[in-house]
Amino acid sequence: MNALADLGAGALWVVEELGRIGIFIGTTIRNSVGRRLPLAATFEQAWSIGIRSLPILIIISFFVGTNLALQGYSAFKPLGGQRLLGMFVALAGVRELAPIMVAAMVAAKAGTEMASQLAVMRIREQIDALEVMAIDPYWYLVTPRFLGIVLVLPALTVISIATLMGSAWLVAVHQLGQSSHEFTSLLLRTTTGKDLAVCSLKAVFFGSFICTVSCYFGFHSKPGPQGVGNATNAAVVVSAIACAIVNYFISEVMYE
Amino acid sequence: MDRTLDTLVGLGHFGRYAGQVLARVATPPWEPHETARHIWLLLIRCSLPVVAVVFPAGMVLALQGLQIFDLFGAQRMLSSLISVATFRELSPVLASVLVAAQGGSSFAAEIGAMRIKEEIDATAVMGVDPLRVHVAPRVIAAVIATPILDLIGCIAGIWGGWLVAVAFKGENGGIYWGNLWALTQPADLFGGLFKTAIFGLLIGLIATYYGYHASGGAAGVGKAVNDTVVSAVTAFIVANYFLTSALFGALG
Repeated sequence: MNALADLGAGALWVVEELGRIGIFIGTTIRNSVGRRLPLAATFEQAWSIGIRSLPILIIISFFVGTNLALQGYSAFKPLGGQRLLGMFVALAGVRELAPIMVAAMVAAKAGTEMASQLAVMRIREQIDALEVMAIDPYWYLVTPRFLGIVLVLPALTVISIATLMGSAWLVAVHQLGQSSHEFTSLLLRTTTGKDLAVCSLKAVFFGSFICTVSCYFGFHSKPGPQGVGNATNAAVVVSAIACAIVNYFISEVMYE
Repeated sequence: MDRTLDTLVGLGHFGRYAGQVLARVATPPWEPHETARHIWLLLIRCSLPVVAVVFPAGMVLALQGLQIFDLFGAQRMLSSLISVATFRELSPVLASVLVAAQGGSSFAAEIGAMRIKEEIDATAVMGVDPLRVHVAPRVIAAVIATPILDLIGCIAGIWGGWLVAVAFKGENGGIYWGNLWALTQPADLFGGLFKTAIFGLLIGLIATYYGYHASGGAAGVGKAVNDTVVSAVTAFIVANYFLTSALFGALG
């Protein structure tokens, strides 16, 4: 019985939060349109998001690529289709896996950082201090982060795709003994410019979701260490879910 | 150079911590009530996120898989692809990402808050081992709950594929369910469950490590949560490659 009540309360909470996030987006847009763009802060954010997420992204992409080649090989081998490995890596890895994986990692790294920074600012009353000084906190804190992540996420996605292709090649050729020429030509022939464009488009959408959600939870953090922890926690989970759902719709629209 | 050294020092520190925790996990007295409570909490907190992420992933898999199989006229094999991919990789990895993001980070936040409020010191002063009462139950809970969540994810992924293939694109439902087990063996499912138990162990250890060593007020807890998610996901994705190589014998 208790579990059912929890479920109902959870559903209500989701609806309430969705509404509040909508209000948050509206306020940010209203307070930022017509003002000077915070260019310097935007580039600072883009740089710090990009530079800090890059090492972790390269490690993750490398191992996702190796695993993709291994799994593709073992799945196709019983059907005698292991020569199509390059095509499999291009379709599964480049089209689908890379954008969502980058989004998940950036949500985990940069998104949680945004949430915990803003949450700490909130509970130390620095956000209130900004308002007192007549500096709009939405324009000053949220807009640069939003523009920064939207600028840098497509670039991170392309880097991750390149890493993934390289590591898949390493495993396919050196661990599984496939022909290098066959693998490379299939891989590059299957990956089209359209795929890269769709990946970048997805990255823009994912970036805006991650930033909105993370800033929202940071902005509305409850006081105390537990409050900051919970805000950071909610930011990464909600961003991941939003990206996974949006991913399906973009794929459905772009690849039909 | 300093950063490399710092990383190595951190790894050694973590190794010692992991050894201490594992010694308490392996020996009685255990805390069955506390462990059961954490398993239940993990299941409650993570099952909706797992379903909400793996279900759309299954939908995407069906969408892209149909396109490939259309080339060969092999649409009937779609569900075999979905079940292999979901059991072996998709659900174990995504479920573990969500356990790290939701369960792991809440472990770090709880234990970090206890550390900041000096509750952990209080526990130790009372002569109760904090690693045994606060940390070990959470680690055991992660090891047990992650495979259960993986199973929930598998079911969600298969139904996600069904929704796109059968309900949206009009493939035959009987063929979908009939071919589900054509290429899959129970070993695939058990391999995935075994992998997630290992991932759960890594997540539990890493999350409690960062929480246990949190310092510097509320900002420190935020940083612990942040580090937890990133390190745990990196650790189990690296482990995944080696486990997959070993488990599914893809080397042969």
